[in-house]
Parts: sequence; C-alpha cells; structure tokens
Amino acid sequence: MLPSAGAYAQAKGPTGTDDPLYPAAKKEGQLTWYSGILDQPLCVQVGQAFSAKYPGIEVKPIKNSSQVALQRLMQDIKAGSMQADVFTTTDVGHMTFLNSKALLVPYVAPSASGFVPALRAFNGGGLYQVSWVGQVTILYNTTKVKLEDAPKDWPDLTNPKWANAITFGSPNYSGLVGVWTVGMAQRYGWEFFEKLNKLNPLIGRSVDDAGTVLNSGERSVAAGNPASALRSAARGNPLAMIYPSSGTLASPSPTAIMKGSSSPNAAKLFVEFLAGREYSQILSDNFEQPMRADVSPPKGAKSMAEIKTFAPTPEEIEKELGPNKEKWRDTFGG
Amino acid sequence: MARTGAARPRVLRRVEPSTVAWLAALAALLFLVAVPVAKVVISSFQDTDTGAFTWNNYAVAYGHVRDYASLGTSLLYAAEVTVASIIIAVPIAWGVARTDMPCKGLVRAFVLGAFITPPYLGAIGWILLAGPNAGWINKVWMAVTGDAHGFVNVYSFGGLVVVTALYAFPYIFVFTADALERVSSEMEEAARILGAGHLRTILRVTLPLVTPAILGGAIVVFLDTVALFGTPAIIALPARIKVMTLVLWQFFEFPVRAEAAAAYAVPLVLITVTLFAAQRAILGRRGYVALTGKGGSRTLLQLGRWRWAIFGYAMLMVALSVLLPYAALAHAAFSRAWGRGFSLANLTLDNFKYLLLTDPAARLTIVHSFGYSAATACLAVALALCVAYIVSRRLVRHTAVLTALCMAPLVIPGIVLAIGFYSAWAPPPLALYGTAALLVFGFTARFLPIAYTNCMASLRSLNPEMEEAVRILGGSQLRAVTRVVVPLLKTSLIGSWLLVFIPATRELSTAIFLVGSNTRVISVMMLDLSENGSFETLAALGFFLLGVTILIVLAGYKLLGRDFMLRRS
Repeated sequence: MLPSAGAYAQAKGPTGTDDPLYPAAKKEGQLTWYSGILDQPLCVQVGQAFSAKYPGIEVKPIKNSSQVALQRLMQDIKAGSMQADVFTTTDVGHMTFLNSKALLVPYVAPSASGFVPALRAFNGGGLYQVSWVGQVTILYNTTKVKLEDAPKDWPDLTNPKWANAITFGSPNYSGLVGVWTVGMAQRYGWEFFEKLNKLNPLIGRSVDDAGTVLNSGERSVAAGNPASALRSAARGNPLAMIYPSSGTLASPSPTAIMKGSSSPNAAKLFVEFLAGREYSQILSDNFEQPMRADVSPPKGAKSMAEIKTFAPTPEEIEKELGPNKEKWRDTFGG
Repeated sequence: MARTGAARPRVLRRVEPSTVAWLAALAALLFLVAVPVAKVVISSFQDTDTGAFTWNNYAVAYGHVRDYASLGTSLLYAAEVTVASIIIAVPIAWGVARTDMPCKGLVRAFVLGAFITPPYLGAIGWILLAGPNAGWINKVWMAVTGDAHGFVNVYSFGGLVVVTALYAFPYIFVFTADALERVSSEMEEAARILGAGHLRTILRVTLPLVTPAILGGAIVVFLDTVALFGTPAIIALPARIKVMTLVLWQFFEFPVRAEAAAAYAVPLVLITVTLFAAQRAILGRRGYVALTGKGGSRTLLQLGRWRWAIFGYAMLMVALSVLLPYAALAHAAFSRAWGRGFSLANLTLDNFKYLLLTDPAARLTIVHSFGYSAATACLAVALALCVAYIVSRRLVRHTAVLTALCMAPLVIPGIVLAIGFYSAWAPPPLALYGTAALLVFGFTARFLPIAYTNCMASLRSLNPEMEEAVRILGGSQLRAVTRVVVPLLKTSLIGSWLLVFIPATRELSTAIFLVGSNTRVISVMMLDLSENGSFETLAALGFFLLGVTILIVLAGYKLLGRDFMLRRS
C-alpha cells in the first residue's frame, strides 16, 4: 500500500475527454465497480485515476472476495436492480455462469491490443478481458534458506529436506490455490500432493497466508502469491520469490460489463481504462503484475513477456477443480 | 416470575402509552431480525436457480458423514471453550466485584482489551508464541532444556480451545461482574453469622445467586464459538481439525450455495432454542432476585494476603490473553520489516503514522467503525431492554418466539444473516445500498442476542415489586422502566453496551457483505491488510484498537464512579 507518487504521475496520460463515449458517459456521471481483485484502497486509487482521465465521472468501487461479490451481484439481480456496472472476479467460471444467464455486455476495449500476447487471447470471445493476473510461485525465507539451496522448480518442493518446513494454501478456501492444484495435478499427477503431505506441510487458508507464515519463521519455503511477498520484501522482510523453471502459474482474472446497469457508457470507458497503461502502472507501483509490455514490472519481478507461464483453461478448471477439492480432503484431511 | 402474571390483564384493561412503546419495539424486532431471519430460513428450502421448494439444500449441507463429524467437533469445541472461559472469567469477576483486590480498573481494562482483540490477531499472536518451530515460548524452552522440540503446540485441539477461550471469556466476565455487583452482602453476612467459612459462603451463596448471569454468558460464549471463523481459520485449518464454520465457508466457493449454508445454519437455531430451554430448566423456580427495593449494601471482602493471590490469577490470565501476544505482535507493529527480527535499526513508528496521519482513508475507516459500533450498541441495548422487559414481565403471550427471534442472529453465520439482511433491505423500497444505516442495522441484528441475554440476566435479578410500587402510585409502565429499571441497572446496561460495541468494532462476516464504497470499517480493512501482506500495519492497527479500548474503559469507570450500593465503612 505504498503508491510511489513519481511513477504514478509519470504514467498519468492526457485526459480522455475526446473519446467518443465520453459525452454519454459524463451524462451518466458515475459507475459502480464490484471488484474481487486488489484491495479497497487500491480500487479507490484506480477509480481516482479514472476520474482524473475522464473528469466528471465518479467510480464507486466495492471490493470483496470474488465469491461475496458474485453473491451480492446475484442478490441485486434477484431484487431487479443491477447495482454493478462493471464486475471483476478472480474466477473465470463466474463469467461463464453470468453469460449463460445473458447478463454480460460483450465489449472489446481498443487498448486491449496492448496486453502481452499470453493475456490477449483471454477474452471469452469478446465477453471479458483480463484485469489482474494471480500468480503462484515458489517463495522462501532468505534468513533460513540460501538462494542456491532454494527449490527451483515445482518438483523440488517435494524434496524430503523440506519436511516440517513447507507451507501453502488450500483449494477449499482459495480459488487461486485451486487453480494451482489443477495445474500441478495435470503436470505431475496427484502423487505430487501425496508427496507434499509426507512433509507435514502447514496448510493455510489463502494464497497470501504463505508470506505471514514465512515471516514468522514457522516455515521456510512456500507456494504462494509473489505480489504480497514482494510488497513485504520491499519493506525489508526476508522474503524472496523464484519463478519455477518449468513455468509460473498465472491465472488471469476477468472483467466484464453487466447488462441492464445504469451507466453502460461509463462502464465501457472504465473497461478501456483497465486495459490501458495508467492502470497497469498502478498495478506495478503496488507490486502487482502489470499486464502490458510497455509497463515495467515491480522491483524483484519480471515482465509477463520474459517468464514462462502456464494456466489450465477455464474448461479444465471447471472439470477438475471439484474432484481436486475432494481428493484434497482425502489426502490432507482438511 | 410468579407475580408478573398479574401484569397482563392490567395491560388488556386499558391501553397505555407504554403499549405503543412495546409495539414499536416489536415492530423494530420484526424489521431488524424477523424479516432477515425468515429470509434465511425460507431460502434454505429454495432452489438456487428457480426458487422452487426443495429439501436439496439440506441434503447438500448434511449429505456427508464428514459434515456430521465436523458438527460434532464444533459442539465439543464450543463446550470446551465455554468451560475454559468460565474457569478464566468467574474468579476474576469475583475478585473485581466482591473483594479488595488491587488495581481493579487495570484488570478490567485488560479484560476488555482481550475482548477487542480481533480473533485473527490474537491467533497470530499465539502462533508467534507457541508455534512448534519458531514460537517464543518453545524457543525459550529449547534453549533452557536443550530439547530438540518445543513443549507447546498451538496447532492442536487444546491450543485451539485455549486461544479461543482467551478472547471469549470477557463475555462471561462482564455478565458475572455486573451481577455480582448487584448482589447485596446481607445474605453473605447471614451465612457468615451462621458459621459458614468464606469459601463455603462463596460457593453456596454468592455464586448461586449469579448463576443466571454465568449461564447467560456461557450461552453467548458457546454460540459465539460455534459460529466463530477467524480463530479456526488460523489454527484449526493447519492443525487439520475440521469445525463446522470451515465447512460452511466452502459453500461460498463457486458454485456458491448460499442456500445450503442457510440450511446448515437452521438446525443451529434449534440448538439455541434448546439451550434456552435448558437454561430455564436449570434455573427452575429458584429465586435469583438480588436487587430489591429495600436497599442493600455491599461490603468488599477483605482478603488480606490472599488479595494478591487473586490479583496474580487475574494478571496471569490477562498476560496470556493480552500482554504476551501483544508483546509478540509489538515486534511487528513497531518494525519496518517484522520478519527481520529485533534490531534498533528496524524500529519505527511509521506503521502508526501511516494509520493515523498519512492515509486519510484509514483514519476515516477508524472513525466509521467507532461511530457505527456506538450507534449499533445504543440501538441494540435499547431494543434488547424493551424486548427483555416484555418477555421477563410477560407483557405478551408466546414470549418463547421473541426469545428465539432475539437469539437466532448469533448462530446464523454472519455472512448468511447478512445475505438475508441485504436481500431484505438493500433494494427498494428502503434502498439502503451502500449506506451507513445498512451496516448499523445489520450489526444491531447481529449483536442483539448479546444485549438481550445480558438484559434478561439483569432483569431476573430485579424484583418487580419496585416497578409495581410505581404503578400503584399512579406512574405509567414507561415511567417504571425509565425511572426505576434503567437507573437500577445502569452499570449492567453499560456492560451490555460494551458487550455490543466491542464485537461490533471487529465484526467481519456481516460487514463484508453490507459494506459500501464509502462505508468501509476496520474489520474489512484488516482483511485487506492481511491479504496484501502488510502485517506490520495490521499489528499496529490492533495496538491502536487495544489502546483506545483501554482508555475508553478507564475513562468510563472514572466518570461513572463507584456504584451506588457500595458503602465503605
């Protein structure tokens, strides 16, 4: 939560008042963004940057976990009053579900062509676009583990030397960890997790718990979210991340426009803004992964174009996540 | 109880202005609690997509043997936490209320400090203390004994129970201390004159007189523990202990099955009603009236040297719940980077500066939380007092329904209740979307059970004859309540107020669903901080809350002064 004012000002482009959508959007005056990504202060910052570019349009961000955001969306729909203009979720399955009920407005933002190639294709045929990339990498505590001893790839985590030393989240409580289990099981089979269980891992809830556990010294290596770890490391905490040599799990989070909302034009402008440079710069300033090649990554991270990434497809996630959760309970008992 | 039956015909005979007040209270209860709870119960029988009637949600919720096991684990967990909380709280309450124990204000302040500690933070504090690999206590143990392993493990059932009880016991403390302060010394003196020793007097006279209060507090702790998510998420999950709330959370993973979560909760409401029936059976027809119109006096028991023993016990307990965990957390709150260990170069006040000065949004969030919680506490206590009065003086029939209504919100998981609340009052006609009122009303519904239980326990100790005296002298029922009941129960009502205010400042599960873009509260901010890895700021926020609470409590007791029954000779 330490926005560096300099980098932010530098990315602040000219206003977008010449956009053909602007007059209609300005008439609407505001838009509501249900966000399952980032945190509330950062969502507010994004909203303010948008208002600076498109004066007279206010953004009302409401940040929740993606599940809560969807539930709220569904309650609004049941009440016949679409509150959200724009919806962002970490779970692409939500978009499939909403689309099956014809609740999305297809829109391709012009700036979406500037995404790195790996993210450009992620658009559900023009229904949504990426707004955040959830990554899972290897993390370790630098006072307990030297770089040369640290695990370099996923299978290294199952090395018996990490007995009582490893921690990760649970697919039953974290969508991103869930996607990670699908990815790992596809590559290494479920034995990967059975081997991990022999190491007596400390299983937390979310993908972000790893940083806290590593900092406390209770464990020394982890599979976790590099963004929160880098943010903590930037303060001086003994955390570091390693991009696994065979590939980092990178799960894109989609944003879409809701049908029947009160500010359809402002919503389109906002989605365009989320595809632009300013937004990716705000992400980078806050240790999140920028989605465009023309924005440099945060300190300690690499650009999406430089690293090898992989992600199961939405269909694969939908098919395999449920059974994985069951297997997880059988293997880890939690 | 037996004499209050006379009140009903009187009410029926002529409509008093007070009747309007009761009707207003009932309307408020319907609005705040009955409608959202009914939404929850109804939704438990509805299909997610079509809304058609179905038993399927119950099949999903209770379809696995595993789920029964976790329900059993939850009940056992809650029972053990309740017993542990009684063991911690009752001696401290007795020491504070009835003896000449030193430093009472400080002990009280620390007890409420334990109460305001978010379970998440307390649990992390205890992981830092009793983590098997790196916990401070274990490191000291290994250094002293040379053992390769520590001797306490927070990741165990015992650890889970103790850590939960350390932050739940203040409920029982406040209930019991309030009640003990209202018991006059006459009966104790009689026991002493008849030759009973101190211990016998305490066990056979003092404690039985406050049984309703202890049981009331115990019920709240039990139900609160059954519904607790924070501590189990931090401790039970890594320890591979499955409690119900952890299972429940999984219904909110996609595909979201809020209806199944509602179905899971409905049997808990039945458990609550059963608990209240059990309470009534235990209390039976015995009299617990401690406050009569005849003027009691309360003398403090002179413990002599033993007062240091009870003080030591109280300090040991607050050390375990506040001093030690916060010492561990201090390390994070005052560090630039808490993972780097202790060093002068790492010391900083920046985390506090960020919260209080740098970030206007953080400041606003803190102001919101305290403001909403204060409004919630006022509303909940006023409503609870009205309803408890109606129920205890039997002013209407079917009081069991009112009790069930008042207690249901405690066991319905916060998020499920919040969904009921949101669907009832966020859309038009009220259209409370994103308003502060939505949060305040939601919190009021959520914490009404606590205020209600406390008001019931207090009213039980109050002899109705004083109110009857007002009526005989021509005063209205309203006057009897405002001029007799409220003044007599002043300290107890303040206790209720704190019992609502403090948990409201840390309430998360309801807040995450009801919060709007301009109504952010501390608990939601804490969740954000924990998720983005800013543990240093999070710990600082915990410290700030602790400090503010201790100041409020100390100032409150200074302002109120000694209670009216206490006459020092």
